[in-house]
Amino acid sequence: MAASNSVLGLYDSPDAGANAMDGLRSAGFALGTFDVLTGTPYPEGAFGEHVPQHRLFRFPFFGAMVGITLAILFTAGTQLAYPVITGGKPILAVFAMLIIAYELTMLGAVVATVVGIIFESRLPNLNLGAYDTRITEGYIGVVVECEDDRIEEARGVLQTAGALEIKTA
Amino acid sequence: MATSSLITDAPDNRPSNIEATATFAGEGRTAASRGLKMFMWILAAAGVLGLVGIAFRFIDDGGRQEWGYYAATLAFMLTMFGGAPMVAIAPTIAKANWARPAARIASLASIGTALTALLMIPLLFKLPALTEFSEVLGDDVRRRSVWFDSPNYAPHFWNILILLTLSLAGLALAYLMALPDLAAIRDHGNGWKQRWGERLARGFHGRPQQWTWLNMRIGVMGAFYFALLLYANFTFPIDLALSLVPGWKDAIFPFYNTLGSFQAGIAFTILGIWAARRWGGVARYVGHEQMWSLGKLLLATTLLWFYFFYSSFIVFWYGRSVPDLATIKLLVSGPYIYAFWGTFLLLFIAPWWVMIWNKVRDSVWGPPIAAVLVLTGLALDRIRIYVASWSAVPDNLELATTGVLEKMPETVWPDVFDIFIMIGLPASGLLGILLAVRLIPVISIWEIQQSRLISKPVRFLRGHALLVGKPD
Repeated sequence: MAASNSVLGLYDSPDAGANAMDGLRSAGFALGTFDVLTGTPYPEGAFGEHVPQHRLFRFPFFGAMVGITLAILFTAGTQLAYPVITGGKPILAVFAMLIIAYELTMLGAVVATVVGIIFESRLPNLNLGAYDTRITEGYIGVVVECEDDRIEEARGVLQTAGALEIKTA
Repeated sequence: MATSSLITDAPDNRPSNIEATATFAGEGRTAASRGLKMFMWILAAAGVLGLVGIAFRFIDDGGRQEWGYYAATLAFMLTMFGGAPMVAIAPTIAKANWARPAARIASLASIGTALTALLMIPLLFKLPALTEFSEVLGDDVRRRSVWFDSPNYAPHFWNILILLTLSLAGLALAYLMALPDLAAIRDHGNGWKQRWGERLARGFHGRPQQWTWLNMRIGVMGAFYFALLLYANFTFPIDLALSLVPGWKDAIFPFYNTLGSFQAGIAFTILGIWAARRWGGVARYVGHEQMWSLGKLLLATTLLWFYFFYSSFIVFWYGRSVPDLATIKLLVSGPYIYAFWGTFLLLFIAPWWVMIWNKVRDSVWGPPIAAVLVLTGLALDRIRIYVASWSAVPDNLELATTGVLEKMPETVWPDVFDIFIMIGLPASGLLGILLAVRLIPVISIWEIQQSRLISKPVRFLRGHALLVGKPD
């Protein structure tokens, strides 16, 4: 099986970058195999790029659920284990439990979100692919992941769109 | 009648993206100036004095009342450093373009919050257990708290946990907001900064999904931070002030602290951007617009301060019960009357008077003056509340459990160790932020770049304006 390569075209204008993306799509490169690299966020779909489904809310939701479950078990368990009636309040006094439930829910959500950031952003990423440091100066990079037999075709499409430089990694 | 747009193009003299990257991440970034190094050494020395103050506070420990200034200092730090990231969060959620250059300074205040959480640990040893009265009055008598029948050290455990959680959320938010800039440092920096940029931004290449995830995470973490800040401003003031004073019952007190946190956070950010403009060489990126916008928010929170204070005060004043009168005397008209009038003047009257004038609000020097007044007033307010609360050690425990402060404490004046603590601990927080700024640019490069892409200077008839597009 041919090895996967990363080909990068560097552009000085967003228009040229969008043209390169169009060209790659027309040339039959599958969605998800080419992407745009920018130094600042552009509105979703500005380059006609593939927009993947995110699972952002699963992590905090899962963390929050774990947190509130632990809090309820912890507070209810303690109160049931030591059933002392104070001031006529019920053994399971919800208002007293809320404070701890809130804290552990937030703690679970925050920790899960931090873990989610690392996991979903694939950080640290050891397979970096082709890249150019001018991207963080405002240049636009269009990167294609392709096999050996399509490298020249990819380079041709990127060149036609007006790439200032093409790199392969 | 004008029926079409009166907007015409104007020359764009703003720094280019290449220039911004070079200034904050590349060869344009200079080493710390002698003045800054000297200032950091002074802060470090003050920090050491703060530690000396803590050590001597432990050695020369005359009881709970001697820890009031320490508690007040931590409350001051939590209020100021804790509130500042909201300046980065709220306008970002509202897509306010003006806030971009101020967001970095505001988010880095979380370093001060993290330090506050660590400095809270020594104070936990001095915070009385819920069973403080049990030895004298029997096992079933516990001091008043929101922890009801929780374990004896519940306030200690949950307060440190909330501060650590708030710090974690704040630091995660600051890291997320800095991630693209760390990538720029990785690409254009040199030496140790580049090595750190490489470590911290490894794999961030600015792919659309990375930007999407980043923006969403900033939003989610910002929401968490806000929720946690509210919670911290509920538990900390209740456990470290209100519940220590027999008879002080005030439902508005947590809101008063939250509002104070917003006010102080805005003031801190104003001073931060003023200092960055004055000494950090960023005058082309931050200035008039940020000062004007933050100044309006500072004026609004200053007015709200009075609203919250008065709403709380009028209940005690009208109630006129014995505990109500004692609470007014302790916090307002009694041993800390000097702090109360200072607070009233510096947290409300003076900044209000300074900021009502359009010309002052619409300048780069006016809001910083108001910010200094507000932070000084805040320090006095924390003294008024926390030193008073920690000095209200009950003599008559039986009376205390019924909510009566039978003997008004004397004014506790700061000794030399208190002064070390009051200067040294906030200075340490400031030092932590300045050390972080040695790596992370004080202005957010990627947000400045994005601002350039979605806005352009225009003329409106003969006036100047900035046309801003806000794509979803």
